[in-house]
Amino acid sequence: MYKKVISQMSGQFSCIEKTVSGQNPIYIPLDPANTDYAEYLLWEAIDGNTIADAD
Amino acid sequence: MSLILDGTNGITNLTSINSGQLGGRRNLVMNGEMKVAQRTTSSAGLGADAMTRVLDRWGLVTNTGDSATAGRVTMAQVADGPSGFANCLKLTTTTADTSIAAGEVMLIQHAFEGQDLQGIYKGVSGAKQVTVSFYVKGNANATYTCELFDRDNLRTIGQAFAVTTDWNRIELTFAADEDDGSSPFDDDNNVSLHIQIFLHGGSTFSGGTFVNNTWANQTNNTRMAESHTSILDATSRTFFITGVQMEIGATATDFEHRSYGEELLLCQRYFQQWGGDLAYGYFGGVASITTTSNAFMPLLCTVEMRANPTFAFVGAASVYDLRNNGNASHPLTGLAGDQLTKTVAGITLTRSNGDLTADVPGQLIGNNSTVGRLQLSADI
Repeated sequence: MYKKVISQMSGQFSCIEKTVSGQNPIYIPLDPANTDYAEYLLWEAIDGNTIADAD
Repeated sequence: MSLILDGTNGITNLTSINSGQLGGRRNLVMNGEMKVAQRTTSSAGLGADAMTRVLDRWGLVTNTGDSATAGRVTMAQVADGPSGFANCLKLTTTTADTSIAAGEVMLIQHAFEGQDLQGIYKGVSGAKQVTVSFYVKGNANATYTCELFDRDNLRTIGQAFAVTTDWNRIELTFAADEDDGSSPFDDDNNVSLHIQIFLHGGSTFSGGTFVNNTWANQTNNTRMAESHTSILDATSRTFFITGVQMEIGATATDFEHRSYGEELLLCQRYFQQWGGDLAYGYFGGVASITTTSNAFMPLLCTVEMRANPTFAFVGAASVYDLRNNGNASHPLTGLAGDQLTKTVAGITLTRSNGDLTADVPGQLIGNNSTVGRLQLSADI
């Protein structure tokens, strides 16, 4: 559902890919003011939820 | 209401000058006239997702999971309104839900950043009243609840209002919330306040005793007025709203009309998109082809966004064509976010066929399709 994206420009972990079945992925910046990132942090805080490594 | 002129407060109860508006920038609401709908002008079957946006800055909120409603609505921008208003937001019930579980809720919501509300003096000494006004109508008489929800301090205040089959202006002055001086809005770019219109809800939101126009710490079962209508009670049910204004003070002044361009720029702080106009139209800036299968392209934001934005694209990757090296066509096989900031969003473009010419610029255009749209969202 959530996967790290490594920037092609910087080589660093720059955003998160979120996939939902049947929809295009969205890409979420690592910004606490971004509501999608805030939602990710809530998901990550649940025991057992771990973001997938980048391809 | 009499006009009052004194040396302390100046002019009080002045609602207009020469039958027109008093001046600009009184209305704290963006897109209150329902002019801007960048994403789409209509979306059907809504009710299953926590938040859906059709018109800019207006969201439809429902509970999900065990508290989800079976009801469904269509939300649309339609060409209807009282005199002086060309558009409104219309909700049409397409699937009724008369078996209302406790936790069900459906409301429309507008969000404000805290840094835009400091003039209200919320939660501090000298707190001011605010007045919310809007035009509404429906297919039949109804009673709904308009709420101000202080997200920073989890405090609420609500007032019931009536809907008839004719356009009527509702004017609701909300009490000042001085509280104990310890609940100001944060001075930042996060959400501090919602205007919410409850259109449907279960006992979780109505089981207690609703107290009209009184600030209180959030207690869910007192948030909806008594004798509340459910917009989901029949498939004939409709709800129309436009001309939403929130202003400091106890007087509802004439609606502050802004140009489409002004409203669009305000909305683009929260959502921007490229494409969709021409079958071979351009998207964003010039792409740098870094390898035979990858390129990097910046999207230069029209205005600085509220926060670093989420990147999304509409349609299959193949509706985007990366022209490169003699204008040769290279439909994409993938798009992704890379470095996303408030002013520039860098995205990557993939052509897995490996036939791009590296170190030569490229230009992303539509692949004979108006489906594709590149979108940045920093909404709240």
